[in-house]
Amino acid sequence: MMMRASTHFALILCVKIFCVNATVPLFAADLTYEQHIRPIFRAHCFDCHGATEDMEGGLDLRQVRLMRKGGDSGSAIVANRPEDSYLVERIRSGEMPPGDHRISSEEIETISRWIAAGAKTARAESETIGSGLGITPEERDFWSFRPIRRPLVREIDSFPPEARVRTPIDALLQTKFDGAAGEFDVTVSPDADRRTLILRAHFDLIGLPPTRESTQRWIDEKADDWYDRMLSELLDSPHYGERWARHWLDVAGYADSEGYTVTDAERSWAWRYRDWVIASLNRGKPFDQFLIEQLAGDELAGPRTGDLTAEQIDLLTATGFLRMAADGTGSGANHAEGRNQVIVDTLKIVGTSLFGLSLQCAQCHDHRYDPIPQSDYYAIRAVFEPALDWQAWQVPNARRVSLSTAEDREKSAAIEAEAKTIAAAKAEKLAAYMKQALDEEMTKYEEPLRAQLRQAYETVSDKRTEDQKELLAKNPSVNITPGNLYQYIPESKPKLAEFDKQIGEVRTKKPAESFVRALVEPAGHAPETKLFHRGDHRQPKQTVRPAALAVAAPEGKRVEFALNDSSLATTGRRLALARWMTGRENPMLARVIVNRVWMHHFGKGLVATPSDFGKLGARPTHPELLDWLADEFMSTGWNLKRLHRLIMTSTAWRARSDVNSPFRSLRRLEAETIRDRMLHVAGVLDESLFGPPLKIKEDDTGQIIVDGEQSRRSLYVQARRSRPVGMMQSFDAPVMETNCESRSNSTVATQSLMLLNGEFILSCAAKFAERTAEQPPSLTADRLAPLPDLPKTGSPWQYGFGSFDESKNRTDTFTALPHWTGTQWQGSEGLPDGKLGWALLHATGGHPDGAERSVIRRWTATSDGVLTIEGKLSHGSAAGDGVRGRIVSSGTGKLGEWTAHNGSAPTTITGIEVKSGDTVDFLTDCRGSVTSDSFTWPVQLKCSGQRQQTISSVQHFSGPPDSVEEIPGRIVRAWQLAYCREPSDNELLLGVRYIADQIVELGANPQAVPAGRTAVSQAMTNLCQTLLSSNEFLYVE
Amino acid sequence: MESKDSKTMPPTLVSRRGFLNQQAMGVGSLALAWLLQQEDAAAAPKGELKEPPTFDLTPKRPHFAPRAKAMISLFQHGGPSHMDLTDPKPELTKYDGTEYSGKVGYSFVNEASKKLMGTRWKFAPHGQCGTELSELLPETADIVDDICLIRSMHTGANGHEVSIRYFHGGIPGVLGRAHMASWMLYALGSETQDLPAYMVLTDPGGHPVDGVNNWSSGFMPALYQGTVLRPQEPRILNLDPPPHLRGEPQRQNLEFLQTLNREHAKRFPGENDLQARIASYELAARMQTSAREALDISQESKATHSLYGLDDDATREYGTRCLIARRLVERGVRFVQLFLNGQPWDNHSNLGTSLPSICRRTDKPSAALVKDLKQRGMLDEVLVHWGGEIGRLPVTQNQGAPEKHGRDHNGQGFSIWLAGGGVKPGMTFGATDEFGHRAVENVVTPNDYQATLLHLFGLDSNELAFQHNGQKQSLTAGRPARVVSEILS
Repeated sequence: MMMRASTHFALILCVKIFCVNATVPLFAADLTYEQHIRPIFRAHCFDCHGATEDMEGGLDLRQVRLMRKGGDSGSAIVANRPEDSYLVERIRSGEMPPGDHRISSEEIETISRWIAAGAKTARAESETIGSGLGITPEERDFWSFRPIRRPLVREIDSFPPEARVRTPIDALLQTKFDGAAGEFDVTVSPDADRRTLILRAHFDLIGLPPTRESTQRWIDEKADDWYDRMLSELLDSPHYGERWARHWLDVAGYADSEGYTVTDAERSWAWRYRDWVIASLNRGKPFDQFLIEQLAGDELAGPRTGDLTAEQIDLLTATGFLRMAADGTGSGANHAEGRNQVIVDTLKIVGTSLFGLSLQCAQCHDHRYDPIPQSDYYAIRAVFEPALDWQAWQVPNARRVSLSTAEDREKSAAIEAEAKTIAAAKAEKLAAYMKQALDEEMTKYEEPLRAQLRQAYETVSDKRTEDQKELLAKNPSVNITPGNLYQYIPESKPKLAEFDKQIGEVRTKKPAESFVRALVEPAGHAPETKLFHRGDHRQPKQTVRPAALAVAAPEGKRVEFALNDSSLATTGRRLALARWMTGRENPMLARVIVNRVWMHHFGKGLVATPSDFGKLGARPTHPELLDWLADEFMSTGWNLKRLHRLIMTSTAWRARSDVNSPFRSLRRLEAETIRDRMLHVAGVLDESLFGPPLKIKEDDTGQIIVDGEQSRRSLYVQARRSRPVGMMQSFDAPVMETNCESRSNSTVATQSLMLLNGEFILSCAAKFAERTAEQPPSLTADRLAPLPDLPKTGSPWQYGFGSFDESKNRTDTFTALPHWTGTQWQGSEGLPDGKLGWALLHATGGHPDGAERSVIRRWTATSDGVLTIEGKLSHGSAAGDGVRGRIVSSGTGKLGEWTAHNGSAPTTITGIEVKSGDTVDFLTDCRGSVTSDSFTWPVQLKCSGQRQQTISSVQHFSGPPDSVEEIPGRIVRAWQLAYCREPSDNELLLGVRYIADQIVELGANPQAVPAGRTAVSQAMTNLCQTLLSSNEFLYVE
Repeated sequence: MESKDSKTMPPTLVSRRGFLNQQAMGVGSLALAWLLQQEDAAAAPKGELKEPPTFDLTPKRPHFAPRAKAMISLFQHGGPSHMDLTDPKPELTKYDGTEYSGKVGYSFVNEASKKLMGTRWKFAPHGQCGTELSELLPETADIVDDICLIRSMHTGANGHEVSIRYFHGGIPGVLGRAHMASWMLYALGSETQDLPAYMVLTDPGGHPVDGVNNWSSGFMPALYQGTVLRPQEPRILNLDPPPHLRGEPQRQNLEFLQTLNREHAKRFPGENDLQARIASYELAARMQTSAREALDISQESKATHSLYGLDDDATREYGTRCLIARRLVERGVRFVQLFLNGQPWDNHSNLGTSLPSICRRTDKPSAALVKDLKQRGMLDEVLVHWGGEIGRLPVTQNQGAPEKHGRDHNGQGFSIWLAGGGVKPGMTFGATDEFGHRAVENVVTPNDYQATLLHLFGLDSNELAFQHNGQKQSLTAGRPARVVSEILS
């Protein structure tokens, strides 16, 4: 933690200095307005002095000639004389810019030096200037706006063998583009070993570790093409789609809740979009198609005529991408602000994921650093407005698309009709009962009162006269209603309920209606988009037409989209945008995508800021490689799986981890992968794909956890914005605000606490430990030879039979009961046993046999101390003559004796001194008769000495001690399962020593062994937990 | 200034890294590394950041010399009624019951009235400074010479969540922002290696309004978020081992784990991440004892217990948390915030009984905290904040019978107080209008408050930046934010 900090900050400082040196020339004479001054003004001044037609103080800073001319206060600059330049004075004094933002002293210095050197421009300025900032050639020439150019790749054969150039990627990485032609660098780390490559490939492509068998299979492969075949197998795995869907869902801002308001309403159908992403990636859908469908699936699907086709459903599901932004309009925020926020967030997701630009920064004013005028932001907004129209808004539920078919509806209608028939029958029956009840009631009255009452009753209540009302009030028992009918005719209630039950049963046969979360543009809807002054929807200005970003096309060749494509029912704007976006002319998309893919393979992109390819973002470390990959990706059909293969077959990817390498350094697994890997190793990972999200809940400590024993992959855990699952959040899984462009990677003590004490890891460790016992490998003698002997047993309890010798005042013989049933000790499988008869012991008690076959529960002290024994001997049958219990110490003899016959006796003894190794026996004999001698005798021992102990005969009841012979093999198996490798001899030794220490510790400390476990099984559980929380487990390699 | 850093830093860095790479990191060498780190700590992040950084809590140098090292915020959810507590308004009393001529924004329109309501409690000057306070705050009156009372707070919005988010995250109403304490951690790191640096003490009655958003690190990594010290056991999640791992079994596990980790790290020389994770296990292990110790108030004297009101049912709970807060900052925790359940200061009705009741619960413990810090010489470096997100209206919220009357929300003007940490003691600052409705003199917004706090911690709110989704974020989000220099000592 601590070391990382200083290197990191040192790095930033170096980068900053580097940038300053690189961008500001040493000689003032090289400073030009366009290259060095305008960016400063753009960031600080143009809002009031250039961007709009209102120039504050009449000063326009867009051209040097206009600065010289100046504003209301005269010339802003005097060439060669910064000290006399009003502009410099105003900035230096802190009066400009107004407010709290300041121009840095370095920037002021640059302005001043530029003026001192004559306030040069790069080229002659035009005599006229329109409105707005426009885009200068310098701005257009920024690396990410330049067309993608495929660099020439040196022949692979032209590199010497030691360069180990395998692919064009390696060739490009080793070519020096700034040096003399033909020069190259050989700085290649050796390849990682085969096992590491297997692990990396599995985590990179499917996000799961290889199984023990597949690790072994690929390690044993003799054929040269093993590596290619392994990649093919992984790329064909259905888990590939799950792994790479997670990356895409991060940028798309996937969530299973609506957010925005405190309610954070659940999003019931978002998961279909998640499944669509998984399936599309698995199918190898070309990535351009993948994006087009997400941006305009509804336009491609066309209008709904009758039932949706499978293809239509698929296309509509794809538009879930545009419904990922938080949307509070269905949960209390259906107002202008709430609606506009949905649009703003959607555009931000589109901007960061597909443009690789902070498009959202141009919402309120021209972008301060990148050439994105505010009008461009609204031109993009105009593309989405027909579907996301804040003035004709649809709340989330209204946007859902029902998947019901005509057949479903027909079936539902038929079922409803059936229900109605039953309801009619019920009504008829009810009427009959009512009449019957009334008739019976009427017999209690004489005429004429009877007729009056009947008439009053049968008059509709609001038509009754005052007299009638009074009459009914006076004779309350006439007021029969369906609600109190049962009081008159008791059997009416169950009879009528029978109808309701039938109706309920019939209705359950209706097909369940399910939905797709989609964005569907209404047909023929083309609202105007207005530019909002300062981003405020209450200040609409000019109408803006849909168009691509101006900077993405050559000067004067801006791509505009039709207002309404007459060949489609919808406006076609999004389809046009999607086609332009995935077209060759757009320089941004392919670079953004290949950079992301690179980032997920190497931990860091060629451009370190994956969602900002603008001025404030990082520059590509290898621009030629980035362009080559982008071009190659497009030229080969936007084939993502091919791109993976291209990258993963490179020497760069196969290189050994090296902290000094710019590409491969050790990476921690993501939150989801950690959880998945734990479940995988525990042998309980449910690998089924797709479906509604796994439920989550708050545990009694207030932490959000996955509900119950749900062991599907983490991708399927419900992603509720306001209820992040504690374990996932702790390991940096995003809690979606809008979207997540790249994850942070924190190392913090709460993670460690979770791995030391958290319930999830403890339960995985227990299952993992059980797995190590399933046919553990047997080790060769030379592997076993150096290992220390393990203590034989961990339990302080033994279970046997024998007798008490009165004369010696000691237990005479103790022979272990030979057979363990899984719950009790006895003579053999069947009872009574030929030799030992009914002798048996279980957790709470047992049954003695005849003389010499008293049953004995024996406890051995592990340290010196003073013992208190509390217990109760009980016998529950009137038959026979009961049982006798004795407590006998090997040190001091009999400590007490009790009998119980159809009753119980407390067996409390205090102040017994014991030495380590002493035994205390709990003998039970049958007295005279062996019949009906079942007894219970739970005891609790409190031993105070060096170590305070409480030992319960019930809780710490144990079966045969686990075989310690298998432990070395189980440790080897644990290593194989957790780390996908064999332990070294030293590690095996460490493991065995650790288990030996644990057995001793746990044997002496029964509280350390939870009920149902033995010292050995608990020691193995602890070992397994340790492996699961170790660095080797948490990192890719 | 940056070039100077870069000249001095790399050599020490290289040598320390070299040193660490050669060592198997035991506890001893870890402590040494920590000390080295303290000596030449990295600088707090500043300006534009190009690299996507990795994050940690190592101590960092502030931008300039700080006045405060730690802060305790006693957050008074709901909107304490300033005209009944801290801001005497004789005119309001004079015109009690008459129609207010000003424009009022109401939250509860159905019960709105324009009838002015004077306070029913007496105000009197206190201390040497003579600041007037209501009789409802007798204990605060006792520390009046140590606090700076700001009477001109203004959020401009009446809603609770809107203003709370403004106070904590820098923009009214916006969720998903980093709490100002997260900013402090990000900028300055942690002074303690044994405890989380940002702790939140919640009320046994439940979470405050807006729940966990109150201590979210928003767009920053989770390591900067508040660690909730729960009002009952387990006070820190996962802190305690399950019973069967307690003591020796877990000690053996950790030793085995760290052996494996060190062997693993040998395969990757120079990988600081691996060393950091080894260290984080050591911190986790230390926390298991140190956090327990920090929370053990039985070590405090009887006098201290009674100072905080622990011998009184009314004040025991809040007093305990105030005392724990002091123990935490004493042990190097950077930021502690206390919350109340729900909104006890939200006195829409029954002002006459509900207001005295919450005052009774909090007045003594709050004052005790300042007194205690002062007597221990800690007040110089520990900043204490007391206040809510809004205040209340000078007009009646009509609830039928007069004794049921209350006051509606008011974000236009209200009071908070600060003490210690470089804030001028014994002063009042700013003023509301004659009825206490709007702040009219020396208006202080939450953004001004934030800029001032950061300043006291040696940080420039204009410079402190965090790169998120390609955008430069700052605590005050580029909104006007002024360091209120008049209240600095």
